[in-house]
Amino acid sequence: MSRQWGVKTALTILVAVGLFPYLFMLTTSVKDNLQFSENYWVPVLPFHWENYATAWEQIQPYLLASVIVAAAAIVLIVVLSLVAGFVLARYAFPGRTFFFVVIAALMMVPSISSLIPLFVMMRDFDLLNTYPVLIIPHVAGGVVIGTILMKTFIEGIPQELFDAARVDGAGGARLFLSIMTPLSLPVIGTVALITINGVWNDFFWPLLTITENELRTVSVGLLFFQGQSGTEYGPMFAGYLLASVPLLVLFTFLSKYFLAGVQGGLPGSH
Amino acid sequence: MAATTGTRPAAAPVEEPSGAARGRRPIAWYAYLALLPLLVVLALFQYYPALNGMVRSFWDWNPGQVSTFVGLDNYAKMLEDDIWWRSFRNLGYIFVFGIVSWVIPLVAAELLITLRSQRAQFVYRTLLILPMAFPGVVTALVWSFMYHPNNGVINRALTAVGLEGLTRNWVGDPSYALWSLLFIGFPFIAGLPFLIFYSTLQNIPREIFEAAALDGVGRIRRFWTVDLPLMARQVRLLFFLAVIGTLQYGFMAYIVTSGGPDNSTMVPVLRMINVAFQGQDWGYAATLSTTLFVFTLVLSAVVVFVRRSDSSSTNVRGLR
Repeated sequence: MSRQWGVKTALTILVAVGLFPYLFMLTTSVKDNLQFSENYWVPVLPFHWENYATAWEQIQPYLLASVIVAAAAIVLIVVLSLVAGFVLARYAFPGRTFFFVVIAALMMVPSISSLIPLFVMMRDFDLLNTYPVLIIPHVAGGVVIGTILMKTFIEGIPQELFDAARVDGAGGARLFLSIMTPLSLPVIGTVALITINGVWNDFFWPLLTITENELRTVSVGLLFFQGQSGTEYGPMFAGYLLASVPLLVLFTFLSKYFLAGVQGGLPGSH
Repeated sequence: MAATTGTRPAAAPVEEPSGAARGRRPIAWYAYLALLPLLVVLALFQYYPALNGMVRSFWDWNPGQVSTFVGLDNYAKMLEDDIWWRSFRNLGYIFVFGIVSWVIPLVAAELLITLRSQRAQFVYRTLLILPMAFPGVVTALVWSFMYHPNNGVINRALTAVGLEGLTRNWVGDPSYALWSLLFIGFPFIAGLPFLIFYSTLQNIPREIFEAAALDGVGRIRRFWTVDLPLMARQVRLLFFLAVIGTLQYGFMAYIVTSGGPDNSTMVPVLRMINVAFQGQDWGYAATLSTTLFVFTLVLSAVVVFVRRSDSSSTNVRGLR
């Protein structure tokens, strides 16, 4: 027990069970159908890397759409919530608390409950099957958590920095651009990761608002991708893995922010 | 969340010196202007739809055509909607199973905290939560492959060990479909509960464990008398988050079973979507949506209340 083998064995079993479906997906993704039926359990040579090329062909538009949606949403969320967070944290004006409550109260409104009326609204605006319809709900939801995080963060920046800049003649806009924005990069990163995670996991909204294949985001695209490739398991799993790569990369290199992002979103979104 | 730190704004380092107050007046008006874009977005895409949904729940809503006010008819219809209430029963099973399944992440966190090597702890923690890095849809699709009647891993494994008799059409059989849905993500470690259990246990000072060990308290006894009471706050918080999370449950069921067979895995979110998009009964869908929203709101209010009384907790504020 001195090397804690018992504990390590138990943990290894838990890890193995938890990762098994994903490992199975990985080994099957480089098999053709014959290898799949003859050697179901074990990896076999030769590896059919061309499955990934096949999958990429079909997955690529979905990934592109998701990247565009995530990028646009991040820019809009950061701009809106950084300005609002700055104003709410650093300026005194009548109604400041009221406005913050108006914003923060929306934390309690789950996105699923406005799905139906928002869908009808978008249809009336004739926005179905466009990028704005995909971006708008992420912005409307993201600015709420964004503003709260930014406000809390900006309140923690020492007032002396702002005072010093003001003495040197900096105005509100200058304070915002030259002092606050660079200092806020960590919280901007967290907000960006929450948004990416949200876009990659959002399901019902793109499913219902998008019928054109080129505009489908990964989460919905994978569902139709399964239909297209029929019983070709290799390319199918290769596609699932390709769709997971962006989140896996973020998890690997920005683990801390990634977990902050996961925990920042309501757990129910999964 | 930050909203719960109700005392904060007073302590916030808002421009203090009295001398500066003179020059601040004009700037304060810019503050309203700066907040305007955000408030417009929220009014248009958050407050208006939410309120419109509530109002329309009293209408026979035909978007783009003539809608008529029907009072409480939609709500009367809801009370008699067997599928709707059955979906809440399923939700009850999902919730209870979800809570019971915390035993595994709890044991995993206890095992992990026992490891003396920090490096080993980090490696195991990362591998245990790795499934979180996969998009939820991928997890749903991989698991629906696991349950596949012919090529699925589970039936193949049963056949391989000579238990053909136990093979089932797991998601196609009403008596097993809900169970299949519940077991997605087994062993349930990759998720918020594990992260919270682990970070709470990590924050318990080592001295307490050492003192307990010196007093001859065994591993199991220490769990009940030391670890669990110290985690009580977090467990309570997780409990309420699970209530709210369960009410939003939907996409797993949509992908794996579509609510079938025979509505045996129907959940409220799916019912609402079916009524709107297949039944085109928008007013009734708005009623279901409003009901779900009210349930969630009441329970969210409870969460905020719990959070507020939680000010001395070790890490929950840091998490969210």
